[in-house]
Amino acid sequence: MSSDWFRLILGLLIALGFSQLNALFLVWLERKVAGHIQLRPGPMEVGPHGLLQTIADGVKLVGKELILPFKADRKLFFLAPVLVFTPVLVGFLVLPFGQNMIIRDMNLGVLLIFGFSTITVLAILAGGWASNNKYALLGAVRSVAQNIAYEIPLLLSVMSVVLMVNSLSFSEIVNSQKTVWFIFLQPLAGLIYLISATAETNRAPFDIPEAESELVAGFHTEYSGMGFGLFFLAEYTNMFIVCAVATSLFFGGWQGLFGINLGIPGVFWFLFKTYALIFIIMWVRWTFPRVRFDQLMNFAWKVMIPLSLVNLVITAIVLKFV
Amino acid sequence: MKLKEIEKVLVEKFPDAPLSRDETGMSGAQWSIAVALSGIREAAKAFDKAGFFLESITALDFEDTFELVYHFNYYEPKSRVVVRMLCGHDEVPQSICDIYRGAVWLEREVHEFFGIKFSGNADMRMLLLPEDADYHPLRKNFGKVSAYHKREVIYG
Amino acid sequence: MAEQDITQETSRVYSLNLGPQHPSTHGVLRILLDLDGEYIVKADPVIGYGHRGHEKMGENRPYKQFLPNSSRMDYLSGMIFNHGFVLAVEKLVGIEVPERAKYIRVIASELNRISSHLLWFGTYVMDLGGFTPFLYAFDDREQILDILDSVSGSRLTYSYCRFGGVCRDVDSRFIDMTRAFLKRMETRWADYDNLVTKNIIFIHRTRDVGIIDRELCRQYGVTGPNLRACGVSFDVRRSEPYEVYDRLDFEVPTGSKGDALDRYDVRFKEMQQSCRIIDQALDQLPGGAFVAEKVPQKLKPPKGDVYTAFESARGLSAYYMVSDGSPGPYRCHIRVPSFGNLNALNDVLPGTMVADAISILGSIDVVIPEIDR
Repeated sequence: MSSDWFRLILGLLIALGFSQLNALFLVWLERKVAGHIQLRPGPMEVGPHGLLQTIADGVKLVGKELILPFKADRKLFFLAPVLVFTPVLVGFLVLPFGQNMIIRDMNLGVLLIFGFSTITVLAILAGGWASNNKYALLGAVRSVAQNIAYEIPLLLSVMSVVLMVNSLSFSEIVNSQKTVWFIFLQPLAGLIYLISATAETNRAPFDIPEAESELVAGFHTEYSGMGFGLFFLAEYTNMFIVCAVATSLFFGGWQGLFGINLGIPGVFWFLFKTYALIFIIMWVRWTFPRVRFDQLMNFAWKVMIPLSLVNLVITAIVLKFV
Repeated sequence: MKLKEIEKVLVEKFPDAPLSRDETGMSGAQWSIAVALSGIREAAKAFDKAGFFLESITALDFEDTFELVYHFNYYEPKSRVVVRMLCGHDEVPQSICDIYRGAVWLEREVHEFFGIKFSGNADMRMLLLPEDADYHPLRKNFGKVSAYHKREVIYG
Repeated sequence: MAEQDITQETSRVYSLNLGPQHPSTHGVLRILLDLDGEYIVKADPVIGYGHRGHEKMGENRPYKQFLPNSSRMDYLSGMIFNHGFVLAVEKLVGIEVPERAKYIRVIASELNRISSHLLWFGTYVMDLGGFTPFLYAFDDREQILDILDSVSGSRLTYSYCRFGGVCRDVDSRFIDMTRAFLKRMETRWADYDNLVTKNIIFIHRTRDVGIIDRELCRQYGVTGPNLRACGVSFDVRRSEPYEVYDRLDFEVPTGSKGDALDRYDVRFKEMQQSCRIIDQALDQLPGGAFVAEKVPQKLKPPKGDVYTAFESARGLSAYYMVSDGSPGPYRCHIRVPSFGNLNALNDVLPGTMVADAISILGSIDVVIPEIDR
């Protein structure tokens, strides 16, 4: 029992450390990807090829004054960034990094991740409301509507995979992809999952809540210093979790293609696939313009949800009779 | 041609109004007509009916009078017409903002720079100047002025 | 259009300030929006933050000293405004311009037009969320700025056109750079097409958005690409040809519906037509003087009006100057196209959504300092 607790606490500390490193790396990667797509080199000054840029930015952010806007709700205002970031850490506990490298192999792993990641919606709403700013409120309200709308196809596409495996446990799902990855068996579900995941993490082309050119900065307009930093940390950590889940559910987790491992340990496969998916999400951000809000909602309710329902029904029928 | 049509209409409406042709092309228009203070609305209605658009409204400050200059144009080559209207320093011309919606802003600009009030234009707020400005910069008794003439000095 | 009955539920309407400091308002513009949820009920643009008193300055300076002012109103079409001012004074005083100077001025103006449209293109797509075309467009624009810099000495606000011609002759370096630029742009149009014009998200953001129809254009005096997007083929270079535009073969692109996508298309095609004009002008460029021989130092114009219209990147612009015989104007009025273009928003914005407001504002291509003067 105590070794369980020990494992859990150690796991949480590792998760915390990993999420920091991950955010460090992803911020750098984002700026480099953005730069090269835009025909420029991106950060080059701090560290070799700008690798230490994020640390410099982090130090700058920590040193900034924490401004509380006039008549803002103090408790909510400072609670919101913390609330955005903390539940996401729980997701690290159940992710299958390698063959025996899950911190806690729960048989409700999938449910846990999605349950906790939904808390971020509350936090965004809290942040937007507490800022006492019309722009922030507009951004927060849009974000809530968007998140709710895209949760449904997200979960429905995951359900299609869960139906096939008959289990909500990550290790079982990954193990059943020994012969063939689920992306080949469920391409529609995979595509729907990736699109919904982009919308869930408020990434372009679905980044209206933080639309830079429309609402200045959406729900985090009024945040400065570390509050702003925490929102960003949460966004990149969320992105990692969402892509890690996609890797586990659709791309075989820590397994090689068709079971061919090439002698490389599973954890490298896992990380490689996750970061490849993250790279694709970043690529999409810098290529496409933003979808308008009503078009986004139409797309969710009129296209994504029916498609994912159809996919689920077909999966159920095929499993029953084949 | 639209220009001939509108000339006919205007000459009919304002038989006493002097119409001067411009052969040199200096004024950018083929001819210009000078109407009385009360005549601008009739003229604007005629232009609106013929399909012209209002290019600009501007004012000139002379020692003895203001002069309002309206430029109307059509989407055909060489179709610009100038309508000139003398308006004393204390007189109030009529607004044409219900005929041409663009005139609201143009008249606001003339008002704030010259102090000419337009009756019928409900929106006489400052456009380019600060909201609480109580001066009229383009008048020749404001700021640095290099010349202040009577109208006949320039137009004879 | 919003279907709700706004008059009954006025407590739902809240006011939001778009600007004056905002990443998407092009210049210092403030639009007071009355919003009902996401829909705009009333839009009231507030301008004047950049009023510098150019018209008053014009009255207190000789014509020659007003030359630098002419570029600084619409700084994106600085060369074209400079050109227009010089044309007005030449018409007033009666200066003959040599052929070579005319061609050079046309080439410089068309280059300026392309650079203005490129900047508009980059910033418009950036407003919609696509950050990348902005950098590609600015890369192309840098080529133009280098070309104009090499011959005039400035990158943005030019005093290159002088009374009687231009201030410096173009050399083979200028011609080579321009030809290289034209060659480079031939491949770029396809790139921009693939990246932006055919992008489904972009099309959805611009099709049927912000329709300004013919009647609205006429009411507000909207000119330029906004007018041409409704199908009215009205271009000052065709209706009142100045310089050598009547000798050059180019099309005036028009749209049909007057929505944002049409305005985008018209400007895109205008850039290509400008390239065509430059190409022909370079071919036809004669030798000879680049400035008139006898330009009096102290101008003694006749008394009276002069009104010169020209086509800037935004529409029909004009200088209206009243001369009293002295070396400077008695009244210097500048007709700017963005004045009417922005005014039309009073009628276009109500009923649209806030996100569309950004798209519409970007698509009409206003430069606020031009309105403020």
